[in-house]
Order: sequence, then structure tokens, then C-alpha cells
Amino acid sequence: MTDNTALAEQLEQIVGERFLLRRKSDLLVYNSDGLPGYRRMPRLAVFPGNRDEAIRVVRTLAEHGAPYVPRGAGTGLSGGALADDIVLLGMHRLKRVISIDRENLRAVVEPGVVNLTLNRTVAPLGLIYAPDPSSEAACTIGGNVAENAGGPHCLKYGVTLNHILSITAILPDGEIVTLGNPEGETAGYDLRGAFIGSEGCFGVALDVTARLTRKPAAIRTMLADFTSVDDAARVASAIIASGIVPAALEFMDAPTIQVVESSVYAAGYPADAAAVLLIEVDGIAEGVDADRDTVREICLSGGARTVKVAQNDAERTRLWQGRKKAFGAMGRMAPHLVVQDAVIPRTRLAEVLAKIREIAEANRVVVCNVFHAGDGNLHPNIPYNADNPEEAGRVHRAMGEIMRACVAAGGSITGEHGVGLDKIGYIELIFSPDSLGAMCRLREVFDPQRRSNPGKVVPIHSCQEWRATPARRASEHVPGAGVAS
Amino acid sequence: MTAAAAASHPVRDMVMDAAGSGTPLRIAGRSHWMDAGRPVAASRIASLAAHSGVVDYVPGDLTITVRSGTTLREIEQITGAEGQWLPLDPHGSADGTIGATIATGSFGPLAHGFGRARDLMLGVEFVTGDGKIVRGGGRVVKNVAGFDLVRLATGSWGTLGVISEATLRLYSLPARPATLSLSVPDGANALAQRITSILSTPATPFAVEMVDAELAGRIGLPRRPQILIELGGNHAAVEAQRHALSQLGGAHDVGPEVWKQFRDIEDVPPSANGSRPPVVLRISALPTRIAELWMSTHNAIGHMDGAMMHASAGLGIVRCILPAGTPLETIQPLTSAAAGATIVFERLPSHMWPTLSPSVIADRLSQGMSRSFDPHNILNAGIMGPVH
Ligand SMILES: Cc1cc2nc3c(=O)[nH]c(=O)nc-3n(C[C@H](O)[C@@H](O)[C@@H](O)COP(=O)(O)OP(=O)(O)OC[C@H]3O[C@@H](n4cnc5c(N)ncnc54)[C@H](O)[C@@H]3O)c2cc1C
Ligand SMILES: Cc1cc2nc3c(=O)[nH]c(=O)nc-3n(C[C@H](O)[C@H](O)[C@H](O)COP(=O)(O)OP(=O)(O)OC[C@H]3O[C@@H](n4cnc5c(N)ncnc54)[C@H](O)[C@@H]3O)c2cc1C
Repeated sequence: MTDNTALAEQLEQIVGERFLLRRKSDLLVYNSDGLPGYRRMPRLAVFPGNRDEAIRVVRTLAEHGAPYVPRGAGTGLSGGALADDIVLLGMHRLKRVISIDRENLRAVVEPGVVNLTLNRTVAPLGLIYAPDPSSEAACTIGGNVAENAGGPHCLKYGVTLNHILSITAILPDGEIVTLGNPEGETAGYDLRGAFIGSEGCFGVALDVTARLTRKPAAIRTMLADFTSVDDAARVASAIIASGIVPAALEFMDAPTIQVVESSVYAAGYPADAAAVLLIEVDGIAEGVDADRDTVREICLSGGARTVKVAQNDAERTRLWQGRKKAFGAMGRMAPHLVVQDAVIPRTRLAEVLAKIREIAEANRVVVCNVFHAGDGNLHPNIPYNADNPEEAGRVHRAMGEIMRACVAAGGSITGEHGVGLDKIGYIELIFSPDSLGAMCRLREVFDPQRRSNPGKVVPIHSCQEWRATPARRASEHVPGAGVAS
Repeated sequence: MTAAAAASHPVRDMVMDAAGSGTPLRIAGRSHWMDAGRPVAASRIASLAAHSGVVDYVPGDLTITVRSGTTLREIEQITGAEGQWLPLDPHGSADGTIGATIATGSFGPLAHGFGRARDLMLGVEFVTGDGKIVRGGGRVVKNVAGFDLVRLATGSWGTLGVISEATLRLYSLPARPATLSLSVPDGANALAQRITSILSTPATPFAVEMVDAELAGRIGLPRRPQILIELGGNHAAVEAQRHALSQLGGAHDVGPEVWKQFRDIEDVPPSANGSRPPVVLRISALPTRIAELWMSTHNAIGHMDGAMMHASAGLGIVRCILPAGTPLETIQPLTSAAAGATIVFERLPSHMWPTLSPSVIADRLSQGMSRSFDPHNILNAGIMGPVH
């Protein structure tokens, strides 16, 4: 990026003075995302207010050869939306729900639409947008598409990928392309599929056609409590193995339960339990009653003390509240919090949880486990004080050891948060140089100059000629440094 | 994979050998359906038929990893023994391979309830045109690590790489399946209403497939248009759904074997490849257009001997199977009747491709993919259209 001033002026002409930030004090707000362990200062931040402005902004960036980082709500938990001395391109002002097609179960939305806003818009029609990340009240659909976001109900309904039919994107060179189509048919390569989960590295999503789902006829929500973590883990596997596909199957361990119960989000979980499972089944009423009975039976014969079934919406909401706010409640335990996002085969849950316990003890840290058990998607959280270097060191070590244990069990390094900056140092644990090279080839078709979110997802040295990008620091990143502070 | 193991990877050896001598390859599974896609000019067949078998199957995880030459029937038998299944039922033979199913992005009526091949894929391994063994995804049910090579490979017809292995998501076999037939009323409006009412019952069918009279007759049902519905789940769920659908009138149970017959009508054994294949086209539109598409398609081909059609109502897909030798003049009006819809030619005589279907990889991104993953242009070259 050569002439910063000229670029800033051109961008300002497009979006207006208010929406082009260049002063350090203004930019400070954008130097981190949901994982504040990383701080990266953008050089400029630009916030287009509509489609036309967004296109002109990207084209101007292209003319200047300027690298940039797309950003939605900045709730990402992998440091993906950080701009290191380059342009931050905020898309949150593009928040129109363009159309809802009730009969065909389609919604066309701009990328800045907040996930929950879309759900609130379609709820009166008896519809839902199924992917429901716990950050739904803040995160944007554009960010969801870029991260291929999941959520508790993705166990049955699938992740973002399964619900996006087409995407109009601005490629880094300014070309507008439509990937996939609203009918869901793809003749030719599935470029829509390739774009989803590309973490802002392939271009900027400008609008998306999403598939909506009919609200299930009936829902049964249950809380099973256990005096043994192992029992809870085995029961989670047994429910899946029984053939029932629960709408959600969430796991919380004792430290998590205690922190939730001592917070304003108290959900009535038994405070002395070693673990609870929050289980939801949905579908046609008669069928879900039968599934509820089967699940209850599996829980009780697997060692559950009690299985509480929500009797009405208020009780259901309360049971869910503890789960959805667990992360927030942990904020009370210590000044800082770090969360891992590893995935393991479901049958290895009990074994890996035991291993995590060992790692926690060895490193003298507290791990709060709250996660999507049905998917094997673990979220070990460690509350700590980052200002104490000795403690921070132990936390980093524990996080790294947990990740390696999950990979050793046949797992993956991220189930829904993405690689971003935080997990780039782990990606070579699961992909060979040739596989990473193939990912670079894919990226380079969309972005030959590697100007869109440079330095994220795939380490620079994996892409042979990929050297002279401004994202040097990403390649120097040490795994496990992704620590909230 | 270690360097030594990579060197002896059978699929890689095959590709490297061809790449070294610039020999274009025609990739084949069990060769049931080699005439799908545009003609390929190749001097050597790269057969995956022997590259088969299970690499890893942990029933408790509901995932299976198989080599690409494994047939759908083998997968059905292996998973069936554990009370599980892969709900992927592409038209044609169960003796086709999983590699071909993924490469062609094929799917059948079960896509209504379970999604298409791309939705059931967790991981893939393929060998690029320059002999690199690459993997995308993994063996767990949730994974967002790295860029999505899985979706890229699915439906790429072998032009980006020879698929060597795949990890798939399984489901438990439904405790109680049931197959229902509902009558199809006359006229577009009545038909549209019937489809809407089926789709808006609280039922969550695995499949909702309309078949015309000709097709119904071929699968052993009374020769009249009807809607086949597959239900599954626990006893109570199936009974409640059956009840809800029966309320609509004209419903009765038919055996599950209709699905097998449905699939088999398009089974062309490899030895019959010399014979002239039918013309198959798939028309896709928004689901609300299905009745209109059905009627216009019916008007265009209903009079033809041996023509058949069926439709996945919830997905908005009408599929026509026309007898071999159907002339261009018959197909053209059909495609104009479907204006605004997406048409995929599944089977078309080679001389009709240029007229009816421009290249599906004509855009810059697709051409870039092809060049970048198959730099020597040796993998099924031309099957999706020429790369410029
Ligand atoms: C729209 C559509 C309709 C179909 N209808 C029929 C039908 O009527 N009858 C039928 O038998 N099959 C049909 N198929 C094929 C279908 O994919 C399955 O039946 C398939 O499993 C056939 O398997 P096969 O091994 O015999 O495939 P093959 O005939 O051997 O191969 C089919 C295609 O896939 C490619 N391919 C095969 N293996 C690989 C691999 N490992 N990596 C990359 N590319 C590969 C081949 O190059 C070829 O182009 C259809 C496919 C499509 C897309
Ligand atoms: C409390 C909490 C709970 C969470 N729970 C979940 C959960 O359950 N499941 C889950 O999946 N995630 C969860 N997350 C993570 C996060 O909310 C998701 O990753 C979300 O999808 C990010 O959306 P965003 O709008 O905030 O994107 P950002 O953080 O702004 O950006 C994320 C990535 O998307 C890219 N991006 C953003 N907008 C665009 C666009 N228009 N075009 C192209 N690229 C774009 C960015 O470049 C970046 O790489 C949680 C986060 C928090 C803080």
C-alpha cells in the first residue's frame, strides 16, 4: 500500500467522513475481535453503507493494490477479522433483509444482518434460520458464512454450509460474481461451497440467499444430571448411537455449572452435579414424546440422577439460558478467558475429557468444559489472569496440550470458530504440505494477489511463492498464544 | 502420510505416470455411466474399480471412510450390518462406486430429507493432475479447518483430481420405514395445492417424489401419476405422519421395493455401454414452480413412447428420461418450456452438447480451478466443457 493519503481520501469520498477512520484513537476499537488476546492495529477502517458503496470501496482498494480484511460484528474467536496495518473493511452497515420468500423457504439478506435479527424477522411466519451460534445476538450472516458457523442446533439441522444456496461476492479485484444459485443447483464446480468457510480470504460476501426451515411442530427439552463426567460422556455417545438425532445435545461440567449457577444467568442446574447434558428433541409431537422417553431411559440407565423435562416455554428458555450465557458467566471467575475449539470422534469423549482433566491438573489450571457433545465439538475454557506471566505460560501450555490430545484422538483443530490467526500454527498437525498447497491454489484462484485477509488460515510457507504479503507476523505466530487478555 | 507411503499410493502412481508422458486419462469407477458429461478424449482408462474397501468404520461415530472404488451396495451391506445407512441414492445402479457418485455430485429422492452428496461428505482425499495427494475435511462430523476442498471436489467430475478416498456421514436405519403413494390431481393448480399441503403437514418425510404414469408402470405400480412418500423414525412418529398424510386423501401404502425398482430403471450395465443411452435432463427451479414445470414438461414429452419423468417436489427438480434417439427438435422446446430454470444435462448424445449446453466451466473462476488443479489437462479433459 503505497499512497495511504490518496487511498484514504478516495475511500472517504465514497463513504463520507464519518465512515472512514484513520486516527489511531478511532481505530483502537477495531484492534481485536472476540478473542482479545491478539491486538492488531488497522491502518484505516472503512464502513460502506450500501451495496454500491461496498463495490466502489473494493474497487478502489484494488486500484491501489491495497490489502484489506472484511469484518462483520467482530465476534470471531480465532482472530480472523484483524487487520495488521492494512485496511479494515467493515460490512455491518449492510443490514437489509432484502426479501423473504415464505413458500420457497428462502431469504435474501445483506451480510451485515445479525443472525438473531433474521430469526426474529422470519419467526412470525413460522420459520427459522437454523444455524444458531451462541453469539447469535451479535454476529452477522456475512461472518457466519465466512466462518461456516455452527451452533447447538446444528447437530440435527446442519451448519451454515447446509443452509446457504447462493452468495453474491465482490472478488478482491472488484469483479462481482454469483456463486451457486437460489434453486440450490450447481452445474459446474461448487464455488458456493468453496467460499463458505473461506474466512474472508476469497473476497467479500455482498448478499446471500439462505434456506429457511419450518419451525418444528413440537420440542422437548431435557436436563439430565450426573455425578460422574464419564457417565455423562458415555450417555452422550449412547444417545447418538441409539439412532435418535437430537436437535441439540450439549454438555456442561461442574466448574461450568457452578459458575453459571452463581451468576445472574442461574438456570436451576443442580450445583453439586459433576456434569449435565442439555438435550432437545423435536419433530412431530407423537414422535418426540417417544424420543423423549427413550432419551430419558438411556440417561437413567447410564447413571443420571434425574432427568428434568421442561414443561413449558419459560422452563425451556431457562434451561437454555445457562448454556447460552455460560461463556459470559465465566467472565466472573478471572479477568481473562481463553477458549479452545477442537473436535473429536464422539466415541472418544470420555477418554479425551479424562485426558483434559489430567492436562489441567498437571498445569494447575481450571478448565470449564461446555460444548456440543453430539458433534464431539469441545470448548475447553480456561479463566485466568493474563497479567501473571507465570500463570499465562501454564495456560498456553495446557491449551496446546489439549489441542494435541484431540488431534491424536482423530480430531480436528476447529469445529466452528475457524483458523484465523489463532489456529494457524496448529493446521500443520492435521494437513500435509500438499493439502495446504492445494488450499493455497484454491485461494489464489479467487485472490491471486492474496490481498483479502492476508496471512490467515494457511501459513505463508505452505504457499511456495506466497511471501511478500504484509502479514509477516501471522507466520511468526506461536500456537497457543490465542489468549484472551 | 509419509513420503514412502505417498510414493506407493496406487492412484498417485497412475496419475504421475500419465502426467509424465502427457497422457490424458479417462477416469472410471465401475463404468456404468461413462457417457455422462461431454465426450472425453483420452488414450488411457484410469480404473478405480480395484481401489476399494473400508479404511475405517467406527459405528459409534456414525462415520465411515472408504476407498473410492467401493460400491454403494458394499457400503449398504457393511453399514446395514450395524443398523446404519448412507442415505444417498443416485439414480442408476447400486453397483456404482462412491467415487463416481461424489465426482458427479449424484443424488436421488432421499436428498429431500438428507441433502445431496455434498451435505453427506465429511472428508475427501484426491490426487491432483500433477500427482499431489491432497485431503480436505476430516473424519469428524464437524470441522472448519482450512479451505473447503471437500465441496470443491464434489461434483467436479474428476477434472480437479481423481478421488481416492472419502469419509461420509451415516445415519441409523429408521426403526420403522413406510412408503406411501398419494394420488396426483389433474391440472397445475390442483397439483400445486396438493404438493403444498403435503409439504405443510407436520410430517418430515425422507423423500417426496412425483412419478408420471409411464414411470409408475415401470416400477410395478398402477399406471397413473402419483406421489411417493418415504417416512421413517420411531413407531409413533411414522404412524402420526401417515395419519396426517392420509387426511389429504388418496393415500395408500406401497412396499419399499418401489425405490429399488425406481433406481434400477436407469441401471445400464457396463457391457451395454455400446448401446445408445437415453437422454436425461434435470430441470431445477424454485419449489413453487414445480407444478407448472411438471405440466409444461408433460405437455412437451407426454406423447413420446417410452419417455418418463419424475420430480423431487420439495427440491424443485423435474427429471426427464427420454428414449435414445430423441431428436434435438424435441429437446429444444423442452428446454424453452423450462425457461428461467437451471437445466443440467445428465446424458446427452455427443453431437448435441455444443447446441444445448455451453460449457459449465466457462467462467474465470472455474477455468482457474481447472488449470490450477490439473495443469497438464489430463483428467477427464473436456467432460465439463473446454478449458481455454
Ligand atoms: C445426473 C446423473 C445421473 C446418473 N444416472 C445414472 C444412471 O442412470 N445409471 C447409472 O448407472 N449411473 C448413473 N449415474 C452415475 C452415478 O453417479 C452412479 O450410478 C455412480 O455410482 C455410477 O458409478 P460407476 O462407478 O459405475 O461410475 P462410472 O461410470 O465409472 O463413472 C461415472 C463418472 O464419474 C467419474 N469418476 C468415477 N470414479 C471417479 C473417481 N474416483 N474420481 C473422479 N472421477 C470419477 C468418471 O470419470 C465418470 O465420468 C448418474 C450420475 C449423474 C451425475
Ligand atoms: C460468546 C460467543 C459465542 C460464540 N458461539 C459460537 C457458536 O456457537 N458457533 C460458532 O460457529 N461461532 C461462535 N462464536 C464465534 C463467532 O460469533 C462466529 O465465528 C461468527 O460467525 C462471526 O461473525 P461476525 O459477524 O462477528 O464476524 P467477524 O468476527 O467480524 O469476522 C469473522 C471472519 O469472517 C470474515 N468476514 C466477516 N464478514 C465478511 C463478509 N461480509 N465477507 C467475507 N468475509 C467476512 C472476517 O474476515 C473474519 O475472517 C461465538 C463468539 C462469541 C463471542
